[in-house]
Amino acid sequence: MILEQILITPWVDMISMPALFFQTIWEGFVSGVLYSLIALGFVLIFKASGIFNFAQGILVVFSALTLIGLHSNGLPAYIAVVVTLLIMALIALGIEKFVLRKLVNQPDIILFMATIGLTYFLIGVGEFIFGGENKVMITKELGLPNDSWVFDVYDDIIIIQQLDFTTVIVALSLVILLTCFHNFTRMGRAVRAVADDHQAALSVGIHLSSIWFVVWFIAGIIALATGIVWGARAGVSFALEVIAYKALPVLMLGGLTSVPGAIIGGILIGILEKIFEIYWGQPLLGGNTETWFAFMLALLILIFKPQGLFGERIIERI
Amino acid sequence: MIYREAGQFKISYGADNAFLPVLQDKFLLLIILTLFWIVFPVFASDFAFQAILLPFLIYSLAAIGLNILTGYAGQLSLGTGGFMGVGAYACYKIITLFPEINIVIAILISGIFSSVVGVLFGLPSLKIKGFYLAISTLAAQFFLVWFFEKVAWLYNYNTSGAIEVPTLYISGITVTGPSAESLVKYYVVLSVISLLTILVINIVRGKMGRQWQAIRDNDIAAEIIGIRLMFSKITAFAVSSYVVGIAGALLVFFWKGAAEANLFEIRLSFEILFMVIIGGLGSILGAYLGALFIVVLPVLINVVPHFLGLSIASATVEHVNLIIIGSLIIAILVIEPHGLSRLWLITREKLRLWPFPY
Amino acid sequence: MKYLTKNILFMSFIFMFTNTVLADLNVLNLSYRTGPFAATGIPLMDGMLDYATLLNERDGGLGGEHFNMIECETGYSTAKGIECYSKLKSDNILTVHPWSTGINLQLIPKAGVDRIPILSISYGLSAAAVGETFPWVFPFPLTYWDGASIMLKYIGGYDLSGLKGKKIVLLHLDHPYGKEPIPLFKELSGKYGYKFISIPVGLKEMQNQSAQWLQIRREKPDYVLMWGWGAMNAGAINEAVKTRFNMERFIGIWWSGHDDDLMVAGKKSKGYKALSWNIPGNYPVIDDIKKHVINKGLSKVKNNDSIYRNFYTRGVLMTMLQAEAIRTAQKHFNTSKVNADQVRWGLENLNITQARLDELGMKGMTNPIKTSCSDHSGHHSALVLQWDGEKFSPITDFISPMKNIVRPMLEKAADKYAKSNAPWPGRDNIPCN
Repeated sequence: MILEQILITPWVDMISMPALFFQTIWEGFVSGVLYSLIALGFVLIFKASGIFNFAQGILVVFSALTLIGLHSNGLPAYIAVVVTLLIMALIALGIEKFVLRKLVNQPDIILFMATIGLTYFLIGVGEFIFGGENKVMITKELGLPNDSWVFDVYDDIIIIQQLDFTTVIVALSLVILLTCFHNFTRMGRAVRAVADDHQAALSVGIHLSSIWFVVWFIAGIIALATGIVWGARAGVSFALEVIAYKALPVLMLGGLTSVPGAIIGGILIGILEKIFEIYWGQPLLGGNTETWFAFMLALLILIFKPQGLFGERIIERI
Repeated sequence: MIYREAGQFKISYGADNAFLPVLQDKFLLLIILTLFWIVFPVFASDFAFQAILLPFLIYSLAAIGLNILTGYAGQLSLGTGGFMGVGAYACYKIITLFPEINIVIAILISGIFSSVVGVLFGLPSLKIKGFYLAISTLAAQFFLVWFFEKVAWLYNYNTSGAIEVPTLYISGITVTGPSAESLVKYYVVLSVISLLTILVINIVRGKMGRQWQAIRDNDIAAEIIGIRLMFSKITAFAVSSYVVGIAGALLVFFWKGAAEANLFEIRLSFEILFMVIIGGLGSILGAYLGALFIVVLPVLINVVPHFLGLSIASATVEHVNLIIIGSLIIAILVIEPHGLSRLWLITREKLRLWPFPY
Repeated sequence: MKYLTKNILFMSFIFMFTNTVLADLNVLNLSYRTGPFAATGIPLMDGMLDYATLLNERDGGLGGEHFNMIECETGYSTAKGIECYSKLKSDNILTVHPWSTGINLQLIPKAGVDRIPILSISYGLSAAAVGETFPWVFPFPLTYWDGASIMLKYIGGYDLSGLKGKKIVLLHLDHPYGKEPIPLFKELSGKYGYKFISIPVGLKEMQNQSAQWLQIRREKPDYVLMWGWGAMNAGAINEAVKTRFNMERFIGIWWSGHDDDLMVAGKKSKGYKALSWNIPGNYPVIDDIKKHVINKGLSKVKNNDSIYRNFYTRGVLMTMLQAEAIRTAQKHFNTSKVNADQVRWGLENLNITQARLDELGMKGMTNPIKTSCSDHSGHHSALVLQWDGEKFSPITDFISPMKNIVRPMLEKAADKYAKSNAPWPGRDNIPCN
């Protein structure tokens, strides 16, 4: 009886209600894309400077809050976006100057802890300036659509939010832009050089600090984009920061240094998580499995592939 | 000059290998022990017990546990909160299933459960290293908190969804529950922690401790010279989770008095990790100093404005708390990445020469 | 040496601080104005604080004594709440408002020991209505189980016959608050023939409920009842609108009836219903608050429109209930400087008549409220409010809970609580008069 419930009923359910199945996959896909956006921020910074920037999650929230705050103080939407970007740039500068430069040769765990300290700091400042309650993202003013397309399938319906669709487009374009930047521009090449070997890059004449600044700034742009689409979907508050934790299994799957890995890992995790929750989690386990499923999945995959699906194989020497 | 060791010599290997060979260190330890066993219990108010002393002791134990795993064995773990939860829930089940058991025995047994769970989630460490391992321990963290919330059997189907600590007695004196005296709770906790600290210090100074440090420094080299990696890593997880589980049980039974699953969420893991880092990785003294720092800081932030006569909204105090903790963590990491214990060692060195400059 | 003196000095700091005794009538409000529950917390806290300020400004206090509402920020965290309580309980507190059911449940065993009454006004442990078992806890004017029975009555008709064969989903916060009514729903599902499905929303998932609403789509229930709070309310309503759920079939408990949550979806969430024991709107007492408190700049309210809305007016009522209890105690014990024990008596012998409500400028805001020694909840009525796209308006009269069914269940639950927390002091020789 139990075995039947675990092994057979879910598949039966999936086939008998195809509209719901497709809807589940779509919802999972959208969440997955959002996870990848956050993971992208992590990957960029890790690739360029070897720092695991835990503060990426709070930067997403912070940028969204700044945008809303600026707009509610009278700035029109698009100008607010530009100003927010400038503020994120300033924050990036501040982080680079006051935190990273002083911790240049420390072991990774110290850097990691510093970014966690940074997270707490930004949470305190953010709550102090903006207040802790939930805010609404200014979707209308930014021109983001609010409606949905409804498709009738048999006796059921599939609803696709236009906002979700826009999110996917935005994410894809960001990825394409980033890839172009990395591969076809001089600055991009410099960033790749720094990611490869700091010393060598220095010796070739690349100014490390400016490269780091550029990288953090790009991460800030991604954070803002992520904040806007996540916030439009679910409201902006500090609970959003917790979603950054979800980006971690994505990173584990995709490897800490691979951009396509982050995308594919994110989508994979998003879809699988949703399917598990709807067909196995809620009927059998009482629901709410989304809190840990992604991590368990990543853990299992890591046991077989310790560097993730796309990570570089690290060859260790003594 | 205070720490001048001139004139202190050892005439046996045993004395030379002692834990605190220098007389001044022994004296300092005596003072600290007197403070904790005699002075504080006499002078401290109820608030001081609840807000400072009990949490300090309990968090130090948790920090010692995490230090074993992360500081000595080099396996970064973010699942401390979850393991503390296992200890707490195990203790609750033992107490409610066997009400006649002495609470201290129950606590010591509940550590075994968290040890088993710790080993289970530590098995991936055989293949995964560094950040990847940290993120795997996150799997343990999130899964365990979900488990505590979902499995109603763990909290005896209480309507509150929380462990409620029953009133328990040791030879007639109430030790837990809402009517227990803070003083009694303090002494029980102090005894358990002293016992465990002595145990851990001995383990860490012995063969196992040295094996762990070898793995931390360079695990491939360690394997080459014959250290069994799997055995060492598993024992690191086992001992660490045992200590951490006991800390969790003490947390609920002797300090909070009740616990929901949310108490053990990731915030707690990060707090303990902060204590370990700030105190200094790989140092028992560091665990205590880190815990002292993290416990005392919010109390200071709450108390000082009152004293200066400023009235600040309690919400703002929360925010300021976070800001200060965040920036202090960064500051300490920048100034002294090896934590407060290194600061203490430096002070000690200076005290050897003081008042002379060199 | 330095370490020793520093520590003694520090300890005396703490010692001194905790021994200050405040001379006013102090009540403790474990509030939350930050965090993910701030959106629902702030208007309630504002309402509570402003009425207390009104009493001081307009009437010169309660019976001549300054009425001091102390707020301690908890962020809805149980651990913080207990910290706040432990820190401030020695400051001569007359009552405590725990707000979070989690904090509430942990304070209940302590209430008898510390002898501070817990005011869990229309929240907290439903079984606390049984005054014989819980002399120090007060969940009036009605408990969650009363509210659940009112919802069932509304759906299934007064005799609940309409419930047979229906499917009811309880979308709830995965927290003691959300799980509180489940035992009642489960037991009555067997009795009245409806299928009951409970869908939790984790604290971290409040804003991303797509999985929960996918499941609701799969189950195709007749009604979705919501026990939500904080960000969960807005998240659920948004998701319901997105998945085109029929809002007329979506009914929330009185804590899921916050105007701001509905305003986000605006016109699209029209039809959503929520229970309430107070009717929002403009009343003489609100005008007084405007005159004496807000216009004098003594209020924390940021949006002046909110003072006519559901939660603010409820906050005002909550402080009123507390103040009336203190007044009752002051009159009975013939002193204005009452202590916690006397206020407990006052809470147990509350009798707020319609005439008194009119006197207070609250005519029509709520029904008269009465408590007794054995019945700490009073089983009073609630009505159904409906959102019309811009505001909440009542669409029914006050509906009374099914007292004859709920009360025995509450007594059974109280018994079970006392047994599992043995030795439970019960009334511990406090007389019933």
